[in-house]
Amino acid sequence: MQRDFPRNYDSLPAIYEFAEDILAQNEIAEAVRFPVHLAMEELFTNMVKYNPDCDEDIAVDVDVDGSKVTVVLTEFDVDEFDVTRPRDVDTDAPLQDRTPGGLGLYLLQNIVDRLEYEYHDRRSRVIFTKESG
Amino acid sequence: MFEIGYGSDGEVMCSGRLDAAQCSKAQSFMDEIADARTLDFSRLEYISSAGLGILLKTQKRLAESGAALRIINVNNHIHDVFRYSGFDAIFDIEAKRE
Repeated sequence: MQRDFPRNYDSLPAIYEFAEDILAQNEIAEAVRFPVHLAMEELFTNMVKYNPDCDEDIAVDVDVDGSKVTVVLTEFDVDEFDVTRPRDVDTDAPLQDRTPGGLGLYLLQNIVDRLEYEYHDRRSRVIFTKESG
Repeated sequence: MFEIGYGSDGEVMCSGRLDAAQCSKAQSFMDEIADARTLDFSRLEYISSAGLGILLKTQKRLAESGAALRIINVNNHIHDVFRYSGFDAIFDIEAKRE
C-alpha cells in the first residue's frame, strides 16, 4: 500500500500511523515494527534534510509478505545520494570526540535486513526489508 | 506525541516518541538542565538518531562541569539503539525490567 507525504518533519506521525495500521493488521511483531519505524524515519528525515529545495511529496510504500516487511521510499527531482554507502561512524569514540549527527544512516544500515538504492531520471528509490527471526 | 517534565524526585520523565518532529521540544527542556540528572525512560516508547543527538549534546555540555546524565528504565528496543550507536559506553544506562 502506498501513500504520499509532504516533505517535512510534521509528516512523521502520519507516516507512523500509516505503517502501523498495515503492520498491526498483519500481526507483525513489535521486534520488527520498532526497527521498521526507525528505518522509515531515518530515511524520510534524511530526504527532507538534504533536499530542502525540493517540494515534491515523498511516496512511502509498505508491504507485508508473511513475516517480512518491505518498505520503499521514493522521492522525485532530487540529486543522487546512495544511502547504502558505508558510513564513517566511530561508535567506540569517547564522549569528547563525539559530535551530534551522522548516526541516522549508520543505524539504518544496522537495523534492516536488506537495503537497496536505485537512482534514475532524478528519481531516488530506497528499498529496505525487515523480517522477524 | 512526546512529553517531557520533572518527576516528584527531580528526575526527568520522558514519554511517547522522541523523533525528529519532537526535537525542538526536547532540546528546549534539556538546555535548562545544569547539573547531574536522571532521565526516566519507563514511558518512552521510541527514539531515533534525532533524539540521540539531543542526549549527546546535553551529555557533552554537562561533562564540562563534571556532571552527567543517567538514563533508567530503558526498554529493549531503545537499548538496542543505544548499543548500535555506542551510547551504552558514554551513558550510564539501566535497562527496564520487562
